[in-house]
Amino acid sequence: MSTNLQLSDIAEFHWMMDMLQVVDVGIVVLDREFKVRVWNAFMESHSSKLPSDVRDKSIFSLFPELQENWFRNKCRPVFDFKGRAFITWEQRPYVFKFPNYRPITGVEDFMYQNITISPISNVVGKVDYVCMMIYDMTDVATNKKRGEALEVTLNELREKLAKAGEKVV
Amino acid sequence: MLSVLICDDSMVARKQAAKCLPEDWEVAVHFAKHGKEAIEAMQAGKGDLLLLDLNMPIMDGYQTLEFIHQSELSPKVIVISGDIQPEAHERVKRLGALDFIEKPISAGSLRKLLRQYGIIQTKEPETPEPLQVDKLDTDIRDCYQEVANIAMGQAGDHLARILNVFVRLPIPNVNLIEVSELHMMLQDIELKDQVSGICQGFIGPGVCGEALFMLSDSSFEDVANILGVEGEVDDQLQLELLMDAANILIGTCLTGLSGQLDLNFSQGHPIVLGQHRSISELISDNKVRWRKTLAIELSYGLEGYNVRCDLILLLTEESMQVLNYKLSHLLED
Repeated sequence: MSTNLQLSDIAEFHWMMDMLQVVDVGIVVLDREFKVRVWNAFMESHSSKLPSDVRDKSIFSLFPELQENWFRNKCRPVFDFKGRAFITWEQRPYVFKFPNYRPITGVEDFMYQNITISPISNVVGKVDYVCMMIYDMTDVATNKKRGEALEVTLNELREKLAKAGEKVV
Repeated sequence: MLSVLICDDSMVARKQAAKCLPEDWEVAVHFAKHGKEAIEAMQAGKGDLLLLDLNMPIMDGYQTLEFIHQSELSPKVIVISGDIQPEAHERVKRLGALDFIEKPISAGSLRKLLRQYGIIQTKEPETPEPLQVDKLDTDIRDCYQEVANIAMGQAGDHLARILNVFVRLPIPNVNLIEVSELHMMLQDIELKDQVSGICQGFIGPGVCGEALFMLSDSSFEDVANILGVEGEVDDQLQLELLMDAANILIGTCLTGLSGQLDLNFSQGHPIVLGQHRSISELISDNKVRWRKTLAIELSYGLEGYNVRCDLILLLTEESMQVLNYKLSHLLED
């Protein structure tokens, strides 16, 4: 009886891990020393770094371009106050530089990212880990930039039109 | 289609008047910068309804009214002016205007007048409202206020510890407001400064809303100092500071609320509303969908620094059902 229960527990754990792997969002769990504890398939595919390559290594040594001070400051309120931290593509186009993976229809060189950093509490409520979720925002960013460019063109045309109108009067 | 002509020399005033037209009213809107333009437009068949300012160059409101009076034109005229002397009211009415609205114009007052003169049909507020939330019950309001107070205190405490400064805690302002009132509330904040804003949606079981965080542009230098950021405070850095400050305040405030109400909120990604803009511009884009909202207004200051930021939590009418229920338990204890 108890073995059955354990088996179903393991099965459940298995499909939950599977879900973490297939979800189209980057998931990274870091400990207090900023060492990588979880690295899902999204991260693996886009960074070309295997989970076995990154496990227990400091995120700063894996990504030297990541500014250590800046990132530590971002994570501090998450560790200390169990708050969430957000980084948007408008603020920083990316934290992890991943090349655009749509070679034919993609117009940007790299992936724009929105990132949420959430606390993970242990059984006594202390935050030992933080979880980073990395969302691909490239399409949104492209569209927004296009929209803004259009607005500028439109304004220029409007001004020209107004000037032409003044001349006629 | 009915044609509405808005005549004012100020572009801001024209825009504002246009915004105040009832949202569900299908009309063609035209603009004129002064009386002469308005008359030309009317002669071209525009302007069944004329919203007319008084003080304008070239041809002012009085002259325009006089001209209309003596001509074949027969628009319905409502005067919108900052001139609040009773004399002005009397004069425009003698000249044939239907009525007078004082500036700044609000959607509510305009709608009322339009109904009064039968320009729009009186439509009963659609479907009887499921719950009575027109007025906040005093007990419940006290309760909201207290809950907000506690959440704010916690947020202030976190902020103080992160930034190592003393945080002046405001008294939270809790109100049930309408769209137009939100505009007015924001105009109060607007007074002299430009702001940068962020909004962030949050949702818990049966409760959802939006947090609006605004930091006045003059605060950035000091915020950079406090956060120990070096280098020139350019737009990019300002956005970073804005995001950090918003993260801390919104996050801790929601945590405070969720703890007391025993609700878990998840937060969406923050959205930048814009940088260096006037507040009314910031929120003008999205005022269509809702009518009433519970607004919890918090405005923080940091002692010894020139930092002003405002946090407004806006909760939907539907959320109040759950909130009131939760709060009534607090009241009983």
